[in-house]
Amino acid sequence: MRVVVAEDLFLLRDGLTRLLAAHEFEIAAAVDTAPRLLAALLEQRPDVAVVDVRMPPGFADDGLQAALAARRQVPGLPVLLLSQYVEQLYAREMLADQAGAVGYLLKDRVFNDDQFVDAVRTVAGGGTVMDPEVVTKLLGRRSHDEPITRLSPRELEVLELMAEGRSNAAVAQRLFITEKAVGKHTTSIFTKLGLTPSEDDNRRVLAVLAYLNA
Amino acid sequence: MGVMWILMKLAWKTLARVMRRFGWGSLLVPLAAMSMALFGLHLWTIATVAFALSLAVWRPVVAAALVPLAMVVAGATGLVVASGVPGSPVSWIVSSSSQAVKPTPAPGFWTVDNGQTVMPLQMSVGPGGMVAANVPGQVVAVPPGTFAYLPPQGHGQPPRFRSLPINARKLAIDRQRVGPPRGFRKVVYTRRGPVMSPAGWWHGRLLVPLALILLTLGLWLAPRTMVSLVERSAELVQRLRNHMRENRWGVLLVPVALIGLTVFGVRPWTVGLVVAAVIVVIKWPRVAADLVPVALAIFALYGFDIAARWQAVSAAAFVGPGGPPFANLAQVMNPVQYGAVLVDSRQMALLAGAEASVFLALGAWLVPRTIGAHTRSMFVADPDPALAGQVARLTESRGHAIDAATSELRRIERDLHDGAQARLVALGMNLRAVERMLPASPHAAMALVSEARETSLRALNDLRNLVRGIYPPVLADRGLGHAVEALALDTSLPIELDINLPGRLTVPVESACYFAVAEALANAVKHSGAHRVHIRIQHSASPVLASPHGASFPGGTGHGPGMLRIEVADDGIGGADPARGTGLAGVERRLGTFDGILAVSSPPGGPTMIAMEVPCALSSPKTCSC
Repeated sequence: MRVVVAEDLFLLRDGLTRLLAAHEFEIAAAVDTAPRLLAALLEQRPDVAVVDVRMPPGFADDGLQAALAARRQVPGLPVLLLSQYVEQLYAREMLADQAGAVGYLLKDRVFNDDQFVDAVRTVAGGGTVMDPEVVTKLLGRRSHDEPITRLSPRELEVLELMAEGRSNAAVAQRLFITEKAVGKHTTSIFTKLGLTPSEDDNRRVLAVLAYLNA
Repeated sequence: MGVMWILMKLAWKTLARVMRRFGWGSLLVPLAAMSMALFGLHLWTIATVAFALSLAVWRPVVAAALVPLAMVVAGATGLVVASGVPGSPVSWIVSSSSQAVKPTPAPGFWTVDNGQTVMPLQMSVGPGGMVAANVPGQVVAVPPGTFAYLPPQGHGQPPRFRSLPINARKLAIDRQRVGPPRGFRKVVYTRRGPVMSPAGWWHGRLLVPLALILLTLGLWLAPRTMVSLVERSAELVQRLRNHMRENRWGVLLVPVALIGLTVFGVRPWTVGLVVAAVIVVIKWPRVAADLVPVALAIFALYGFDIAARWQAVSAAAFVGPGGPPFANLAQVMNPVQYGAVLVDSRQMALLAGAEASVFLALGAWLVPRTIGAHTRSMFVADPDPALAGQVARLTESRGHAIDAATSELRRIERDLHDGAQARLVALGMNLRAVERMLPASPHAAMALVSEARETSLRALNDLRNLVRGIYPPVLADRGLGHAVEALALDTSLPIELDINLPGRLTVPVESACYFAVAEALANAVKHSGAHRVHIRIQHSASPVLASPHGASFPGGTGHGPGMLRIEVADDGIGGADPARGTGLAGVERRLGTFDGILAVSSPPGGPTMIAMEVPCALSSPKTCSC
């Protein structure tokens, strides 16, 4: 699996490439500025890109802008954004095209390399991965919503994990319940929130995120 | 007996009434009166009593605090005086011991009071103005100075001395004994030898025990009152320091007046001038400042006069009273103290002249700073009140800005110290423990490693929150509009945004406005019970409103930098007041740093509308690098 790594700090870039190489990713390019990232994305057409939000030359959200520009030219190009902060505003912009294959994680999540590599693979596979912090904020925003208050605590947990981009199997494993039970919960959640049920994991995640983001 | 009893009762009643009226401070007066009893009626003893009286009346608390100190001083002084009084128990010891050390005067020599032995002449003008007179049985001492000797006017009369005036004309007059002697100085006669005359009842019996009692009482009481005295003086010292800073040149008048004491000698009029100087410094600091160069110029002229005169006079031109010419000028001319220099020779006179030059130069240097500045300010019209108001506002807002920056730095320091730093320390300790445990118990070590990882996560989280409070990332990335948008997304209330901001503001303004909106929003969420909030941000090229302070913003007439207007409105219960609670007041202060203003309309029952205006420029829209 070919990956482009974009990170301006040498230490982190080096660490990321090593980590990904150790998990049998092929490093197509490791770049340190937003223009180089855009060029690399368009030339290399990697299976996935791991991108730092803040990068030269502007040291603002240049990485995000480059990723969004690349996705405008290559719809659905898988991009996993890393940042010291997660902002709903940026999450919303990433999710706006409804094409999936996006991720948005705190840099801290790299500490758990298994989960991180899973997230990279999910995004590469067209899935959506949101940092738990984003999801917490989304739910916090919706905490006064009538439909959300009707969810049971267990359903809320499932919703949270689903919003993070986990598959039914992963949710089941996390909550120590069967996949079938997760399926039941999701159906119930979708009914209570008034969403159209879907068998496709990814469609479902996007629907949930779209609901929370609205 | 009956009369005594009535008198004592009367005295006691009066005393009790005085004590009730003025408190313990009134004790200061009798203590000061002791100086009169010890030293007699002098200007300074009277002044001491008067000072004590005024303190007791107008500053009773201070007077009460000073009583123990006065006791200590009075006791110590009493002991010293007693030691010098012949016949008193203390003085007997002192004089007998000094008797043993002093050489007995040989025939033909006389001992002057300070223990020096001089050769007696018909009239001797010794070095340092010591005079010995050839009067058998008498040893005389006179204060320093050069004196002319006037023979005794009759048998048994003491000889008389008078000060030699400075110039030859006066000397001649003196030698003719014309007119009353000017500047006649008192000659002190002291008898030597064991003194047998008994001391008086007061000095001999009462003084020493009274002094000891006072000393003991004072020392016992002093620590109690010292505390309050120090507390009071701290405030006084601060006021004094401010006064000094504001009137630094005027304050110079007091030391300059003290120099005058040395130049013109300690006389009633010079002392009076020093007192007057102190009063002028306190009451009219500007006048005091103007007087400093004038006084310095007068001293300088006087110094030049001394220098010139001593060069012009020759000692040999004068014939001493005994016949031969005077050996040196000091015998003819009165030695004069001039500042730090005692002028008793031509060389010293030149030195005095140099000192006078220093005075004059200092005076000249001060002229533009005192008289010049004051004259200028008299001719320059009063400053524009609007400008003065602006300056006052700027000074105030600068103070607020500094305060805010300081407390912000303190908060950051504390957060780092208690958060990330502490966690990193824990992390280090954990890792060290892992190092130790790894060989023996790898399983426990593994647990510690994951704990360390958790700690590092928490440290990162702390840092993240800290940075968010300093300068939110979206604000840094995209500016005020997007940052407010992100803020709205993080808020649980529905928020309508109406943002028209085609460019970036300067970083400080952006940050101040962001935190202002955040504060207003937080108020709306926490206190107002609102269901929706409307935020409007607009930048217009020309200011919309004039400042409420009356003055328009600098350049705010349409060609200025423009005006940022922010409105945060909610449909809550209202009742927001910047005067209550520090949040909005802090926002107002922070915006004030940029000449911005904050207006709150929040009647009870709502709705609330917070409007902010900051004059600021909008930079061209930031072009994306990609």
